[in-house]
Amino acid sequence: MSLLLEILSPDFLLRNALYGGLIIGFVAPLVGWYLVGRRMVFLGVALPQVSTAGVAGAFFWHALFHEHELHEGDFWLALMGSTVFTLIAILGLALWESRSRGRAEGRTGVLYAFAGALSLLLVASDRIAEIGILGLLKGEIIAIPTGELLVLAVGYAAILVALWLFKKDLLLVSADRDLALSFGKNVLAWDLVLYLIIGTTISLGVLLVGPLVMFGFLIVPPLIAGRVTTGIRRLPLAASVVGGLTAFVGFAVSYKLDWPMGPTDVALVCVVLALAAAAQTIPGLLRRA
Amino acid sequence: MAGALVSFRDVALGYDGTPILEGLTLDVRPGECLALLGPNGCGKSTILKAMAGIVPPIRGTVHRSIDGQPVRFGYVPQQETLDLVFPMTAAEVVELGTYGQLSPGRRAGGAERERALRCLEQVGAADLRGRLFHALSGGQKQRVLVARALAAEPDVLLLDEPLSGIDAPTAEAILTLLGRLNREQELTILLVTHHLGAVREVVREAIWVHAGKLLRGLASAMLAPEHVRTMIEEDFLS
Repeated sequence: MSLLLEILSPDFLLRNALYGGLIIGFVAPLVGWYLVGRRMVFLGVALPQVSTAGVAGAFFWHALFHEHELHEGDFWLALMGSTVFTLIAILGLALWESRSRGRAEGRTGVLYAFAGALSLLLVASDRIAEIGILGLLKGEIIAIPTGELLVLAVGYAAILVALWLFKKDLLLVSADRDLALSFGKNVLAWDLVLYLIIGTTISLGVLLVGPLVMFGFLIVPPLIAGRVTTGIRRLPLAASVVGGLTAFVGFAVSYKLDWPMGPTDVALVCVVLALAAAAQTIPGLLRRA
Repeated sequence: MAGALVSFRDVALGYDGTPILEGLTLDVRPGECLALLGPNGCGKSTILKAMAGIVPPIRGTVHRSIDGQPVRFGYVPQQETLDLVFPMTAAEVVELGTYGQLSPGRRAGGAERERALRCLEQVGAADLRGRLFHALSGGQKQRVLVARALAAEPDVLLLDEPLSGIDAPTAEAILTLLGRLNREQELTILLVTHHLGAVREVVREAIWVHAGKLLRGLASAMLAPEHVRTMIEEDFLS
């Protein structure tokens, strides 16, 4: 109880990290639900990696052409790199998919491998190490400045509004493209709206929590929700609640045990998924036995 | 073309720029009930999709208008090709059919949910509303998909193999429903089917997709056993 009171205190030193984790925990599953529903889970792995490569690329570019060290402006530079890389990747994949009959998984896999390699190569550069951005690339959840938290809150609020306003159209083009076309909907335009939402969610989130946590909160809560409820109204809400609660509990556990917060969150949400799967499977096995 | 809901004029259809059907000319007028027949792979479903605007023509023009307004389609896809990964209930699947009439930014509400339930009742599937769509049987899914098409309040109902993979009583119930909708509400219906005998009592005209051409005539003549035998033999030999 004392731990809870300490964490929830307005003077708590790491409150921004808690708020940031909660915002991502609640909002990312609402976006990830579309990735799961459209069988684009692998994109949920690849895009955070691309976003990370974008951050590394932006800093590498800065290190090459500027002598001074990065301080105040590093968040915006990182955000620009992350956003540009993510949007180019997602729009490129969408365009490729609309014109090609090849396997999308293969393209996404190559993108993941390339983005991962690029991130490591750029981070390995001496110039990058000098300006000390490794923490940002890992997604330092402990130290989130208030300004960055505000950017995340405003960005994710805009994403929530877009999801709420366009839910019907996004769902229609995601669930049954032929039906959407028969209604005269511009399927490509709505795909682009969805991809912009996904890209913005990932590029903002990766900056604060890193690619691993971003992927975890995009994909795993919708999978958990799919095991405990059904329906297009209840499922996204359940996923959001699961994401937010695990972000909170993960934070408390990591603070109490002095574990790194990102991996703690992801491990916890995976444990919850395993428990939900067991709760679904074991009663049936017992009945049969 | 005058008075037609859907008109094909010298249309070529296909995929990736390669035509599988060329020079198609066809009018579908209000109140008609047509069957589209032909062997597997002859392009029946492609014609249906081109009517609905799902497949764009490679050449030629497809007009879809009623009194200067766009035609509203109710489209029932082949069950096997529909891959609804989202865990939707039957009622939610039917509600998708109402989305075509909602402008961007307008959310579905109570009126759309009520219309979805009415359509489920119309096809005798109201009891399925809370069930997950992907857990339904073939016949139940087909009823739900017909309800979804009706929820679009269509001018033209397009059905792709609505009788495949379902038992005889369900097939009969669906055909009875289609016949009633055509007679009582003058709903224009075009259905692709291999069940020639079953649709004989429902459709008034039939169109054979034969050697890349559309042969249209009265159902009584086009579905007569001798004519069917001739068509099948010629299709097989070609």
